[in-house]
Amino acid sequence: MSNTMEKRLQKELMKLVSEPPAGVTFDSESADSKLTLWKVKVVGAKDTLYDGESFILQFKFTPKYPFESPQVIFIGPNIPVHPHIYSNGHICLSILTDDWSPALSVQAVCLSIVSMLSSCKKKVRPPDNVVYVSTCSKNPKKTNWYYHDDSQS
Amino acid sequence: MASASSASHNNSSNNAGTNSNTESNENEDSAQANFECNICLDTAKDAVVSFCGHLFCWPCLHTWLETRPNNKVCPVCKAAISRDKVIPLYGRGCANQDPREKTPPRPSGIRSEPENQGPFQNFWGDNFQVSFGIGAFPFGYFSTNFGTNHGADQQRPQTEQEQNERFLSEVFFMVVLISFFFLMLA
Repeated sequence: MSNTMEKRLQKELMKLVSEPPAGVTFDSESADSKLTLWKVKVVGAKDTLYDGESFILQFKFTPKYPFESPQVIFIGPNIPVHPHIYSNGHICLSILTDDWSPALSVQAVCLSIVSMLSSCKKKVRPPDNVVYVSTCSKNPKKTNWYYHDDSQS
Repeated sequence: MASASSASHNNSSNNAGTNSNTESNENEDSAQANFECNICLDTAKDAVVSFCGHLFCWPCLHTWLETRPNNKVCPVCKAAISRDKVIPLYGRGCANQDPREKTPPRPSGIRSEPENQGPFQNFWGDNFQVSFGIGAFPFGYFSTNFGTNHGADQQRPQTEQEQNERFLSEVFFMVVLISFFFLMLA
């Protein structure tokens, strides 16, 4: 099982370094030898509210990856102000828990997050930010997320 | 199929020691990527293809189906998927064994024999036993057993061996009693 994880992460890493998608770069200093912790820099897309801003995403993998989703949070001083991103860096995004599929990858998750930023119309924190941040677990995967369908609004 | 055969041609020419240029490398890469498992991203082993057309190693897909037994969907397109909704692929070099048959080996069931029970269930459950006794060595013979199981034992038809054993233990108990009275009298 963990063998699958290591092999797959290596393949993903090679792909991400050799052909990075627009606005996504791997921070090569961050990865440890076992590849269980990645840091990826994402840049807000052009002509969006986050144009030119750069953020750091942290990925944590369990030995059950890719059958289990990675733990993904924003870290560092600049955490995007977004209706689905809490000030502690936790992200309310269904593919990170319920809708995870092993066919997804680090690259796919990064692109989803960039596109989530791009579709934002107003820079605000989630309405329950203060309560959530003071009561939540350190691991966002332990939160019982309630997902809204954003495509309607 | 055309791309598969061209990939194998590239392979053999490279193996033969000809200079591999970058173009043929790229061709080879993309051709190989066509046959990568969507889960482990490696060339699919014990390959199966879903009705929706997505390729997996059977061990990978099986692990995924086990991970979410209540929500079996294709990892790529979220179509319904199950053991019966995939087709095994047999390449020329492979054994013609259905990958679903051989991997992963399922754990065999564990079946234990029921314990012997009398026809009547006891009020305190099956194995309720109380024993009273005096601990010092020679007096240990006086320990008595009040086991609710005991009654159930007697109601069960006994085999010859059990009857013999019971008889022997009764004889032994009498011998002990007699020797103890001798000690008291002496």
